[in-house]
Amino acid sequence: MENGVRRWLVNVSQWNPSEAQFASVISLFPVDEQTAITRYIKFEDKKRALVSRLLQYSLVHEVLGIPFDKIIIHRTAEGKPYLKNSIDFPFSNFNFNVSHHGDYVGIASEPLCLVGLDIVSITTPKQETELEFINNFSPYLTVLEWKNIAHAGSSEEMLAQFYRYWCLKEAFVKAIGAGLGYGLRRLEFHHTNWTGISVYIDGVESKKWRFSLSKLDEKHWVSIASGLPNKADELCCSNLSLPELGFTFRTVEELISNVN
Amino acid sequence: MASVTGTAISISARPSRRSLQVFNGLSVVKSVSFAGQRKSIPSIRSHPATSRFRVSCAAKPETLEKVCNIVKKQLALPENATVAGHSKFADLGADSLDTVEVVMGLEEAFGITVEEDSAQSIVTVQDAADLIEDLVCAKSA
Repeated sequence: MENGVRRWLVNVSQWNPSEAQFASVISLFPVDEQTAITRYIKFEDKKRALVSRLLQYSLVHEVLGIPFDKIIIHRTAEGKPYLKNSIDFPFSNFNFNVSHHGDYVGIASEPLCLVGLDIVSITTPKQETELEFINNFSPYLTVLEWKNIAHAGSSEEMLAQFYRYWCLKEAFVKAIGAGLGYGLRRLEFHHTNWTGISVYIDGVESKKWRFSLSKLDEKHWVSIASGLPNKADELCCSNLSLPELGFTFRTVEELISNVN
Repeated sequence: MASVTGTAISISARPSRRSLQVFNGLSVVKSVSFAGQRKSIPSIRSHPATSRFRVSCAAKPETLEKVCNIVKKQLALPENATVAGHSKFADLGADSLDTVEVVMGLEEAFGITVEEDSAQSIVTVQDAADLIEDLVCAKSA
């Protein structure tokens, strides 16, 4: 039975379309989406944007059975995509989130809980040292988080620690649809070697949010934030205690073939 | 927090408020407020937010050129990519990490501090250059 939960990933470095192939895939989407995709200057950004749409539409099509050309996805003022089509119970709270960075584009969906997803690609800074780079983000880290990063060991390890915290914070902010203006320093992540992750918001531990953080490869990490919407009673939602579903790798070719 | 209105400059610790969207029928936090120093990432939007702080003078060509170079370098754009005043940050592929870095880079290069409210009205590279010109003028005034 369809439960509305998905975790998909595409490795875009494995898709190298010709101009004609790219044009043919982009034509699957409404004009406003096409414009949004082609606005990007770098081809890699165009590609990630296209695969992001492909994942969104494919997922909605698969989970809810809406034909591709009937799917309407809008964005909030903060830029979060959401499904405009009205959906009946049990999927009336169905929501999804996408992320892309480096070689990966990912999507996660949930029927009830709010879900946020973030992928980070750990890149060694080119114009400064790791510590200088991380220091740029010190306003967005709490004292505890900063201490954990500073004590991580080598500069590579410190960089990796920073990126993990960033990934979790972004996943949370994206789940709540707050956009870039959210005060990231309000969030403090507690964990035991990056498992059993919980968030403290303004110093208070939140029981409504669950996080997972996994390694995709040497340079890429992905985090999922899922939280009970305010209206839901903690008791009524057993979803939060289920083990986190792993990611399924999809290919662009496979997704396109499922379109019709 | 430095704010520029016309030719006057006022410094105040003004709390900034963010109201989060009611999303898909699930209302999350309606509004949050916190005082004092910048705690949120200066966000560069794809469309301008209503801004009460209008920039009073356009950037000098050298300022714009310097901003373009910093942005181009920070975003690792290809050699043939044109970054000009009309270029929108969103189209250049800046993500949240890039945004923080670009603003930091601009702050360091020009010796200024960009406040998040001003940064919110930046859509194009020209907007950034104009804002910087204003802050630089204000600093030396």
